[in-house]
Amino acid sequence: MSMNTENIRPGDLEWTCCNCGRKLEPAPVVVEYLGNEFTAELPRCPSCGLVMITEELALGKMAEVEHILEDK
Amino acid sequence: MNSEPGEDISLCPVCLERIPFHREFEGLEVYQVKQCPEHGSFRTLIWQGPPEFDTWRRPKIPAQLAYTETPVQRGCPFDCGLCPEHRQRTCSAVMDVAHSCDLGCPICYAGASGQGPEPSLELIESWYQALLLSGGGCNIQLSGGEPTIRDDLPDIVAMGRELGFDFIQINTHGLRLARDRAYGRALVDAGLASVFLQFDAVEDTAYRKLRGRPLLKEKLAALEACAALGLGVVLVPTLVRGINLDQVGPILSLAQEHSPFVRAVHFQPMSRFGRYPASLENEKRLTLPELMRAIDQQSEGRFPLASFRPPGCENSLCSFQGNFLLHPDGRVQALSQGHDPACCPAPEPAEQGALRTIARVSRNWAAPASPPELWAAPEPGSCSGPIPLDEFITLARQRTLSVSAMAFQDAWNLDLERVRDCCIHQVAPDGRRVPFCLYNLTSASGQRLYRP
Repeated sequence: MSMNTENIRPGDLEWTCCNCGRKLEPAPVVVEYLGNEFTAELPRCPSCGLVMITEELALGKMAEVEHILEDK
Repeated sequence: MNSEPGEDISLCPVCLERIPFHREFEGLEVYQVKQCPEHGSFRTLIWQGPPEFDTWRRPKIPAQLAYTETPVQRGCPFDCGLCPEHRQRTCSAVMDVAHSCDLGCPICYAGASGQGPEPSLELIESWYQALLLSGGGCNIQLSGGEPTIRDDLPDIVAMGRELGFDFIQINTHGLRLARDRAYGRALVDAGLASVFLQFDAVEDTAYRKLRGRPLLKEKLAALEACAALGLGVVLVPTLVRGINLDQVGPILSLAQEHSPFVRAVHFQPMSRFGRYPASLENEKRLTLPELMRAIDQQSEGRFPLASFRPPGCENSLCSFQGNFLLHPDGRVQALSQGHDPACCPAPEPAEQGALRTIARVSRNWAAPASPPELWAAPEPGSCSGPIPLDEFITLARQRTLSVSAMAFQDAWNLDLERVRDCCIHQVAPDGRRVPFCLYNLTSASGQRLYRP
């Protein structure tokens, strides 16, 4: 399955994990919403797997997906 | 199990006076039963499950209307409107901008008398202003008669856009769009978003019976014209048992083939108001659950019964709706959360439902926001496994199809509970808003309640 880093900006990878202290790395992640599964490449802790969802992603694409799935 | 008489109110189909009704349950069938002291008893099929009548619920907390045009005097349905007893804001406002129609079908709720001058631009502006006074923010449908008989229809669209109405749609038979490309271009340039295209069948037998002559060729030409103009189209079949109920599946297939400019199919079972042949008077009623099952069966499960749900805006008994993603490989994916018969949903604020519907209609009934050159079907992706987020969003922006239906009420099955929840309001000539079904309601002898 093709992956791209469209949802990761360079600054996102400067964050470190609050649990492990390790730098986040791009990784394929499966997101589930209302019974639908999506894949996206997102910043993730290589140690504990904690994923960072930026405000831009949450209020942008993820909000759009929410609208599409919750319509009416 | 039958409901108790007394609480629910309807009208006598003969004299249009208020009379109580109760529901009689016979297996999965539900009837509205009522008795007029003068004109006898009436029994009308209103539901034929599955899904079962009692499970088709989406309760609402009534909207508090900030502005109403008329006081409560005689009581519902005689005080429109809207009056303070109404429980939902305007979601879609229908304005009849033409009295005449150049088709004059045997079946139509709309007037086509051709009597009197067409409404002036000044009068139409006053209707837009009246809607603004009542809060604005609604979608607009320009109807009639047949709105495209007016050469100045683009001016009416432009006027609405300038006054701040973002979504304007025309309700049309499509014949002028099929033959007059310059007219269609002018409508697009004026800001038209969507065409509500009467489309009853993909064969001519049904058009001959419902519309008086074969029309398929012209309907397809209208579709082609809308595609070339980048206009979103909603196919609107008027369904009559014994004439075109078997067309449900073929119409959905055609809609899929003409995605993305065909954005939706909105079925309307025929109601007994306006013009309809006397021969259909005793025809068994086509109810929403039977239509949902027909969609499921005739589409061979592509649009399954379980993917439809009651509306969040109008009364649950008035409609059903489902949104679907059309994958490039032909797969259809239900996007909406379907109806859960075991679930007892908590009441939702009606106004929030209306605001969601206003946004959904303007998004899903207009052409995709991306330019038409990007509408070509994407390459088929993998059928299995999760879909990449960005691919899903791109596909959903361009390749969704809404499938819905609305059961209009007539004098035989009118339920004033449903009327008070109505969000589709006709703007009367004097600017008052009247729930769509009441505006078009006629008695057995053709006497009208509101339509002039």
